[in-house]
Amino acid sequence: MSGLDGKVALVTGGAGGIGRGICERLAAEGATVVVADLDAAAADSIAAVIGGKGLVLDVTDPASRVAAIDFCAVLGGVDVLVNCAGVLKDARIATFEPALFRRLVAINLLGPLALVRLAAPGMIEKRAGRVINLASRAWLGTFGSTAYSTAKGGLVGATRSLALELGGGGITVNAVAPGFVDTPMTDGLPPHIRQRAIDSIPIGRAGRPDDIAGAVAYLAEAPYVTGQVLVVCGGRSIGNPFAA
Amino acid sequence: MTTAAATEAVHVVGAGALRAVVERAVAGLDGSAPATCLVPYVPDRASLAEWTDTRLSAEVGGALDAVLADVQHELGHAERIVFVLPAAPLMGGRDSMGASAVTNGVLSMARTLSIELARDGVTVNVLALGSDADPAAQLAALLGPGGEQSTGQEIYLTGGSDLGRLRP
Repeated sequence: MSGLDGKVALVTGGAGGIGRGICERLAAEGATVVVADLDAAAADSIAAVIGGKGLVLDVTDPASRVAAIDFCAVLGGVDVLVNCAGVLKDARIATFEPALFRRLVAINLLGPLALVRLAAPGMIEKRAGRVINLASRAWLGTFGSTAYSTAKGGLVGATRSLALELGGGGITVNAVAPGFVDTPMTDGLPPHIRQRAIDSIPIGRAGRPDDIAGAVAYLAEAPYVTGQVLVVCGGRSIGNPFAA
Repeated sequence: MTTAAATEAVHVVGAGALRAVVERAVAGLDGSAPATCLVPYVPDRASLAEWTDTRLSAEVGGALDAVLADVQHELGHAERIVFVLPAAPLMGGRDSMGASAVTNGVLSMARTLSIELARDGVTVNVLALGSDADPAAQLAALLGPGGEQSTGQEIYLTGGSDLGRLRP
Protein backbone atom coordinates (compact mmCIF):
# COMPACT_ATOMS: atom_id res chain seq x y z
CA MET A 1 0.00 0.00 0.00
CA SER A 2 1.13 3.53 -0.69
CA GLY A 3 -0.18 6.89 0.36
CA LEU A 4 -1.11 7.53 -3.24
CA ASP A 5 -3.31 4.48 -3.74
CA GLY A 6 -6.64 5.65 -5.12
CA LYS A 7 -5.43 9.20 -5.63
CA VAL A 8 -5.76 11.06 -8.91
CA ALA A 9 -2.68 12.97 -10.01
CA LEU A 10 -2.85 15.50 -12.82
CA VAL A 11 0.62 16.09 -14.26
CA THR A 12 0.90 18.91 -16.78
CA GLY A 13 3.72 18.63 -19.26
CA GLY A 14 3.50 14.94 -18.46
CA ALA A 15 5.09 13.84 -21.72
CA GLY A 16 8.21 15.96 -21.29
CA GLY A 17 11.48 14.71 -19.89
CA ILE A 18 10.85 15.55 -16.25
CA GLY A 19 7.09 15.19 -16.59
CA ARG A 20 7.39 11.62 -17.81
CA GLY A 21 9.60 10.75 -14.88
CA ILE A 22 7.04 12.21 -12.49
CA CYS A 23 4.17 10.32 -14.14
CA GLU A 24 6.06 7.04 -13.91
CA ARG A 25 6.96 7.60 -10.28
CA LEU A 26 3.49 8.64 -9.13
CA ALA A 27 1.96 5.68 -10.95
CA ALA A 28 4.45 3.38 -9.27
CA GLU A 29 3.33 4.84 -5.95
CA GLY A 30 -0.24 3.85 -6.71
CA ALA A 31 -1.79 7.01 -8.15
CA THR A 32 -4.04 7.13 -11.17
CA VAL A 33 -2.03 9.52 -13.27
CA VAL A 34 -3.48 11.82 -15.89
CA VAL A 35 -0.65 12.49 -18.32
CA ALA A 36 -1.57 15.92 -19.65
CA ASP A 37 0.43 17.37 -22.50
CA LEU A 38 0.21 19.29 -25.76
CA ASP A 39 1.49 16.17 -27.51
CA ALA A 40 -1.50 13.83 -27.55
CA ALA A 41 0.33 10.83 -28.98
CA ALA A 42 3.14 11.06 -26.44
CA ALA A 43 0.68 11.51 -23.56
CA ASP A 44 -1.34 8.48 -24.66
CA SER A 45 1.79 6.42 -25.12
CA ILE A 46 3.10 7.15 -21.63
CA ALA A 47 -0.35 6.67 -20.12
CA ALA A 48 -0.58 3.25 -21.75
CA VAL A 49 2.74 2.20 -20.24
CA ILE A 50 1.92 3.33 -16.70
CA GLY A 51 -1.77 2.44 -16.68
CA GLY A 52 -2.85 6.07 -16.57
CA LYS A 53 -4.92 8.36 -18.76
CA GLY A 54 -3.64 10.53 -21.58
CA LEU A 55 -5.05 14.01 -22.07
CA VAL A 56 -4.36 16.91 -24.39
CA LEU A 57 -3.74 20.07 -22.38
CA ASP A 58 -2.59 23.52 -23.39
CA VAL A 59 -1.94 25.27 -20.08
CA THR A 60 -2.32 28.66 -21.74
CA ASP A 61 -5.84 27.91 -23.00
CA PRO A 62 -8.64 28.53 -20.47
CA ALA A 63 -11.01 26.04 -22.11
CA SER A 64 -8.32 23.38 -22.18
CA ARG A 65 -7.63 23.91 -18.47
CA VAL A 66 -11.32 23.55 -17.59
CA ALA A 67 -11.57 20.42 -19.71
CA ALA A 68 -8.60 18.90 -17.86
CA ILE A 69 -10.20 19.48 -14.46
CA ASP A 70 -13.52 18.10 -15.73
CA PHE A 71 -11.71 15.04 -17.07
CA CYS A 72 -10.20 14.42 -13.65
CA ALA A 73 -13.57 14.97 -11.94
CA VAL A 74 -14.90 11.89 -13.70
CA LEU A 75 -12.05 9.93 -12.13
CA GLY A 76 -12.83 11.27 -8.67
CA GLY A 77 -11.24 14.72 -8.79
CA VAL A 78 -7.69 16.01 -8.63
CA ASP A 79 -5.93 14.93 -5.44
CA VAL A 80 -2.43 15.86 -6.61
CA LEU A 81 -1.80 18.66 -9.08
CA VAL A 82 1.71 18.77 -10.50
CA ASN A 83 2.32 21.91 -12.53
CA CYS A 84 5.22 20.70 -14.62
CA ALA A 85 4.58 22.15 -18.07
CA GLY A 86 7.22 24.73 -18.86
CA VAL A 87 9.16 26.35 -21.66
CA LEU A 88 12.59 27.97 -21.51
CA LYS A 89 13.84 30.56 -24.01
CA ASP A 90 16.75 32.79 -23.21
CA ALA A 91 17.73 36.21 -24.52
CA ARG A 92 19.62 39.22 -23.22
CA ILE A 93 17.38 41.75 -21.52
CA ALA A 94 18.00 44.51 -24.08
CA THR A 95 16.61 42.43 -26.92
CA PHE A 96 14.00 40.36 -25.12
CA GLU A 97 10.86 40.49 -27.23
CA PRO A 98 7.85 41.51 -25.10
CA ALA A 99 5.60 38.99 -26.85
CA LEU A 100 8.00 36.15 -26.03
CA PHE A 101 8.28 37.38 -22.46
CA ARG A 102 4.49 37.30 -22.08
CA ARG A 103 4.24 33.86 -23.66
CA LEU A 104 6.81 32.44 -21.27
CA VAL A 105 5.04 34.04 -18.31
CA ALA A 106 1.73 32.61 -19.54
CA ILE A 107 3.10 29.07 -19.79
CA ASN A 108 5.30 29.05 -16.71
CA LEU A 109 3.25 31.16 -14.30
CA LEU A 110 -0.26 32.22 -15.30
CA GLY A 111 -1.38 28.81 -16.57
CA PRO A 112 -0.26 26.97 -13.43
CA LEU A 113 -1.95 29.50 -11.15
CA ALA A 114 -5.17 29.24 -13.12
CA LEU A 115 -5.06 25.46 -12.74
CA VAL A 116 -4.64 25.78 -8.99
CA ARG A 117 -7.75 27.96 -8.88
CA LEU A 118 -9.71 25.35 -10.82
CA ALA A 119 -8.45 22.39 -8.80
CA ALA A 120 -8.72 23.97 -5.36
CA PRO A 121 -12.51 23.77 -4.84
CA GLY A 122 -12.49 19.98 -5.22
CA MET A 123 -9.56 19.67 -2.84
CA ILE A 124 -11.24 21.97 -0.32
CA GLU A 125 -14.35 19.79 -0.48
CA LYS A 126 -12.24 16.73 0.34
CA ARG A 127 -10.22 18.69 2.89
CA ALA A 128 -7.12 17.22 1.29
CA GLY A 129 -4.92 17.97 -1.65
CA ARG A 130 -1.38 18.46 -2.85
CA VAL A 131 -0.19 21.13 -5.23
CA ILE A 132 3.38 20.79 -6.46
CA ASN A 133 4.70 23.53 -8.67
CA LEU A 134 7.80 22.86 -10.73
CA ALA A 135 9.90 25.97 -10.34
CA SER A 136 13.56 26.06 -11.33
CA ARG A 137 16.93 26.85 -9.91
CA ALA A 138 16.65 29.83 -12.30
CA TRP A 139 14.48 31.38 -9.60
CA LEU A 140 17.80 32.28 -7.96
CA GLY A 141 18.91 34.08 -11.12
CA THR A 142 20.47 32.82 -14.34
CA PHE A 143 22.24 34.76 -17.07
CA GLY A 144 19.90 35.45 -20.00
CA SER A 145 16.83 33.93 -18.39
CA THR A 146 14.87 37.07 -17.66
CA ALA A 147 11.46 35.68 -18.54
CA TYR A 148 11.99 32.17 -17.24
CA SER A 149 13.44 33.26 -13.92
CA THR A 150 10.74 35.91 -13.51
CA ALA A 151 8.01 33.35 -14.12
CA LYS A 152 9.57 30.74 -11.86
CA GLY A 153 10.19 33.31 -9.14
CA GLY A 154 6.56 34.32 -9.42
CA LEU A 155 5.58 30.70 -9.04
CA VAL A 156 7.67 30.39 -5.89
CA GLY A 157 6.07 33.49 -4.41
CA ALA A 158 2.58 32.32 -5.27
CA THR A 159 3.38 28.93 -3.75
CA ARG A 160 4.15 30.58 -0.42
CA SER A 161 0.95 32.61 -0.35
CA LEU A 162 -1.20 29.74 -1.56
CA ALA A 163 0.24 27.53 1.17
CA LEU A 164 -0.92 30.08 3.73
CA GLU A 165 -4.32 30.48 2.12
CA LEU A 166 -5.10 26.79 1.57
CA GLY A 167 -3.33 25.18 4.52
CA GLY A 168 -6.37 25.34 6.76
CA GLY A 169 -8.27 23.28 4.21
CA GLY A 170 -5.83 20.41 4.38
CA ILE A 171 -4.09 21.37 1.16
CA THR A 172 -0.32 21.66 0.93
CA VAL A 173 1.35 23.77 -1.73
CA ASN A 174 5.05 23.36 -2.44
CA ALA A 175 7.58 23.92 -5.17
CA VAL A 176 10.41 21.83 -6.53
CA ALA A 177 13.29 23.71 -8.12
CA PRO A 178 15.29 21.45 -10.42
CA GLY A 179 18.79 22.35 -11.51
CA PHE A 180 20.42 21.07 -14.69
CA VAL A 181 18.53 17.94 -15.73
CA ASP A 182 19.14 15.69 -18.72
CA THR A 183 16.02 16.14 -20.86
CA PRO A 184 15.25 16.88 -24.50
CA MET A 185 15.13 20.55 -23.41
CA THR A 186 18.82 20.47 -22.40
CA ASP A 187 20.04 18.02 -25.06
CA GLY A 188 20.41 20.83 -27.58
CA LEU A 189 22.90 22.84 -25.56
CA PRO A 190 26.36 23.38 -27.07
CA PRO A 191 28.79 20.81 -25.61
CA HIS A 192 30.97 23.42 -23.87
CA ILE A 193 27.96 24.98 -22.17
CA ARG A 194 26.73 21.59 -21.08
CA GLN A 195 30.14 20.64 -19.72
CA ARG A 196 30.45 23.93 -17.86
CA ALA A 197 27.09 23.30 -16.23
CA ILE A 198 28.07 19.81 -15.15
CA ASP A 199 31.41 21.06 -13.83
CA SER A 200 29.49 23.40 -11.53
CA ILE A 201 27.48 20.58 -9.95
CA PRO A 202 29.07 19.20 -6.77
CA ILE A 203 27.46 15.78 -7.25
CA GLY A 204 29.34 15.62 -10.55
CA ARG A 205 26.57 14.75 -12.95
CA ALA A 206 23.48 16.20 -14.54
CA GLY A 207 20.21 15.51 -12.81
CA ARG A 208 17.90 12.79 -14.05
CA PRO A 209 14.14 13.04 -14.31
CA ASP A 210 13.80 10.47 -11.56
CA ASP A 211 15.77 12.71 -9.20
CA ILE A 212 13.03 15.31 -9.60
CA ALA A 213 10.26 12.71 -9.57
CA GLY A 214 11.46 11.47 -6.19
CA ALA A 215 11.11 14.94 -4.72
CA VAL A 216 7.64 15.32 -6.21
CA ALA A 217 6.56 11.93 -4.88
CA TYR A 218 7.78 12.89 -1.43
CA LEU A 219 5.79 16.13 -1.45
CA ALA A 220 2.74 14.32 -2.83
CA GLU A 221 2.63 12.27 0.35
CA ALA A 222 3.96 14.76 2.91
CA PRO A 223 1.10 16.14 5.02
CA TYR A 224 3.15 18.54 7.13
CA VAL A 225 5.36 20.27 4.57
CA THR A 226 3.94 23.33 2.89
CA GLY A 227 5.07 26.59 1.35
CA GLN A 228 8.54 25.24 0.74
CA VAL A 229 10.91 25.17 -2.20
CA LEU A 230 12.82 21.92 -2.48
CA VAL A 231 15.91 22.63 -4.57
CA VAL A 232 17.02 19.50 -6.43
CA CYS A 233 20.18 20.59 -8.17
CA GLY A 234 23.02 18.33 -7.10
CA GLY A 235 24.31 21.11 -4.87
CA ARG A 236 24.75 23.64 -7.67
CA SER A 237 22.97 26.37 -5.74
CA ILE A 238 25.46 26.48 -2.87
CA GLY A 239 29.01 27.67 -2.60
CA ASN A 240 30.96 30.11 -4.72
CA PRO A 241 30.64 29.27 -8.41
CA PHE A 242 33.90 31.07 -9.14
CA ALA A 243 35.96 29.22 -6.55
CA ALA A 244 38.33 26.51 -7.79
CA MET B 1 21.51 69.16 0.60
CA THR B 2 19.26 68.33 -2.28
CA THR B 3 20.81 68.90 -5.64
CA ALA B 4 19.07 69.20 -8.98
CA ALA B 5 21.80 67.04 -10.47
CA ALA B 6 21.03 64.24 -8.04
CA THR B 7 17.32 64.15 -8.75
CA GLU B 8 17.88 64.37 -12.50
CA ALA B 9 20.29 61.49 -12.29
CA VAL B 10 17.74 59.26 -10.63
CA HIS B 11 14.67 58.18 -12.52
CA VAL B 12 11.76 56.83 -10.52
CA VAL B 13 9.50 54.68 -12.67
CA GLY B 14 6.66 52.24 -12.18
CA ALA B 15 3.08 52.38 -10.93
CA GLY B 16 3.60 50.88 -7.49
CA ALA B 17 2.02 52.33 -4.37
CA LEU B 18 5.50 52.88 -2.91
CA ARG B 19 6.43 55.31 -5.66
CA ALA B 20 5.73 58.43 -3.58
CA VAL B 21 7.92 57.11 -0.75
CA VAL B 22 10.75 56.52 -3.18
CA GLU B 23 10.36 59.92 -4.83
CA ARG B 24 10.63 61.61 -1.44
CA ALA B 25 13.73 59.61 -0.62
CA VAL B 26 15.34 60.41 -3.95
CA ALA B 27 14.62 64.11 -3.53
CA GLY B 28 16.85 64.08 -0.48
CA LEU B 29 19.83 62.47 -2.17
CA ASP B 30 23.06 64.40 -2.28
CA GLY B 31 24.62 63.11 -5.47
CA SER B 32 24.02 59.90 -7.32
CA ALA B 33 25.25 57.88 -10.23
CA PRO B 34 22.78 57.72 -13.11
CA ALA B 35 20.21 55.41 -11.65
CA THR B 36 16.69 54.08 -11.88
CA CYS B 37 14.44 53.16 -8.99
CA LEU B 38 11.78 50.83 -10.28
CA VAL B 39 8.60 50.59 -8.22
CA PRO B 40 6.34 47.95 -9.78
CA TYR B 41 2.57 47.83 -9.54
CA VAL B 42 1.52 45.14 -7.08
CA PRO B 43 -2.04 43.74 -7.14
CA ASP B 44 -4.36 44.16 -4.18
CA ARG B 45 -5.20 41.28 -1.88
CA ALA B 46 -7.71 38.83 -3.30
CA SER B 47 -8.64 35.26 -2.52
CA LEU B 48 -7.67 32.50 -4.93
CA ALA B 49 -11.27 32.21 -6.13
CA GLU B 50 -11.21 35.86 -7.21
CA TRP B 51 -8.28 35.35 -9.57
CA THR B 52 -10.12 34.90 -12.83
CA ASP B 53 -8.14 34.23 -15.98
CA THR B 54 -8.72 37.80 -17.10
CA ARG B 55 -7.54 39.22 -13.81
CA LEU B 56 -4.45 37.02 -13.75
CA SER B 57 -3.52 38.12 -17.23
CA ALA B 58 -4.11 41.82 -16.55
CA GLU B 59 -2.77 42.23 -13.03
CA VAL B 60 0.00 39.64 -12.85
CA GLY B 61 0.98 39.28 -16.50
CA GLY B 62 0.44 42.98 -17.13
CA ALA B 63 2.46 44.03 -14.12
CA LEU B 64 5.40 41.90 -15.19
CA ASP B 65 5.12 43.13 -18.79
CA ALA B 66 5.35 46.69 -17.48
CA VAL B 67 8.47 45.92 -15.47
CA LEU B 68 10.18 44.45 -18.53
CA ALA B 69 9.26 47.55 -20.55
CA ASP B 70 10.53 49.89 -17.83
CA VAL B 71 13.82 48.05 -17.48
CA GLN B 72 14.41 48.01 -21.22
CA HIS B 73 13.59 51.71 -21.43
CA GLU B 74 16.03 52.58 -18.65
CA LEU B 75 18.97 50.46 -19.84
CA GLY B 76 20.65 53.31 -21.65
CA HIS B 77 20.44 55.57 -18.63
CA ALA B 78 20.95 53.54 -15.51
CA GLU B 79 24.28 52.52 -14.06
CA ARG B 80 22.45 51.49 -10.91
CA ILE B 81 19.02 49.86 -10.77
CA VAL B 82 17.10 49.46 -7.54
CA PHE B 83 13.81 47.59 -7.43
CA VAL B 84 11.62 48.71 -4.54
CA LEU B 85 9.06 46.16 -3.41
CA PRO B 86 6.68 45.72 -0.48
CA ALA B 87 8.10 43.12 1.89
CA ALA B 88 4.84 41.51 2.97
CA PRO B 89 3.88 39.81 -0.31
CA LEU B 90 7.49 38.85 -0.88
CA MET B 91 7.32 36.81 2.29
CA GLY B 92 3.84 35.51 1.50
CA GLY B 93 0.43 36.08 2.98
CA ARG B 94 -3.13 34.88 2.90
CA ASP B 95 -5.08 36.13 -0.10
CA SER B 96 -1.85 37.40 -1.59
CA MET B 97 -1.22 35.00 -4.46
CA GLY B 98 -1.23 37.71 -7.11
CA ALA B 99 0.89 40.13 -5.13
CA SER B 100 3.36 37.41 -4.25
CA ALA B 101 3.58 36.28 -7.86
CA VAL B 102 4.43 39.80 -9.01
CA THR B 103 6.85 40.72 -6.24
CA ASN B 104 8.69 37.41 -6.30
CA GLY B 105 8.75 37.45 -10.07
CA VAL B 106 10.43 40.84 -9.94
CA LEU B 107 12.80 39.59 -7.24
CA SER B 108 13.96 36.78 -9.52
CA MET B 109 14.18 39.15 -12.47
CA ALA B 110 16.45 41.36 -10.36
CA ARG B 111 18.63 38.36 -9.49
CA THR B 112 19.01 37.49 -13.17
CA LEU B 113 19.65 41.08 -14.19
CA SER B 114 22.31 41.50 -11.53
CA ILE B 115 24.18 38.56 -13.07
CA GLU B 116 23.54 39.61 -16.65
CA LEU B 117 24.30 43.32 -16.34
CA ALA B 118 27.41 42.96 -14.19
CA ARG B 119 29.53 42.76 -17.34
CA ASP B 120 28.11 46.13 -18.36
CA GLY B 121 29.00 47.69 -15.02
CA VAL B 122 25.36 48.04 -13.99
CA THR B 123 24.38 47.13 -10.44
CA VAL B 124 20.96 45.72 -9.62
CA ASN B 125 19.62 45.51 -6.09
CA VAL B 126 16.31 45.11 -4.28
CA LEU B 127 14.87 47.01 -1.34
CA ALA B 128 11.98 45.28 0.39
CA LEU B 129 10.03 47.77 2.46
CA GLY B 130 7.99 47.00 5.52
CA SER B 131 5.24 49.28 6.78
CA ASP B 132 6.33 52.91 7.07
CA ALA B 133 9.91 52.10 6.07
CA ASP B 134 12.00 55.00 4.78
CA PRO B 135 14.45 53.84 2.13
CA ALA B 136 16.44 57.10 1.99
CA ALA B 137 19.59 55.87 3.72
CA GLN B 138 19.75 52.62 1.76
CA LEU B 139 19.15 54.42 -1.54
CA ALA B 140 21.90 56.86 -0.70
CA ALA B 141 24.26 53.96 -0.07
CA LEU B 142 23.32 52.05 -3.21
CA LEU B 143 23.26 55.05 -5.54
CA GLY B 144 26.06 57.13 -4.08
CA PRO B 145 29.86 56.73 -3.99
CA GLY B 146 30.80 53.14 -3.21
CA GLY B 147 27.45 51.82 -4.33
CA GLU B 148 29.05 50.20 -7.36
CA GLN B 149 30.37 47.49 -5.05
CA SER B 150 26.93 46.15 -4.20
CA THR B 151 24.93 44.15 -6.68
CA GLY B 152 22.45 41.31 -6.45
CA GLN B 153 21.62 42.26 -2.88
CA GLU B 154 18.21 42.07 -1.24
CA ILE B 155 17.78 44.38 1.73
CA TYR B 156 14.72 44.01 3.92
CA LEU B 157 13.74 47.20 5.73
CA THR B 158 11.26 45.57 8.04
CA GLY B 159 12.57 46.37 11.48
CA GLY B 160 13.22 42.67 11.94
CA SER B 161 9.61 41.57 11.53
CA ASP B 162 10.73 38.84 9.12
CA LEU B 163 13.43 37.41 11.35
CA GLY B 164 13.09 33.69 12.00
CA ARG B 165 11.33 33.19 8.69
CA LEU B 166 12.61 31.76 5.43
CA ARG B 167 12.97 34.45 2.83
CA PRO B 168 12.11 33.56 -0.75
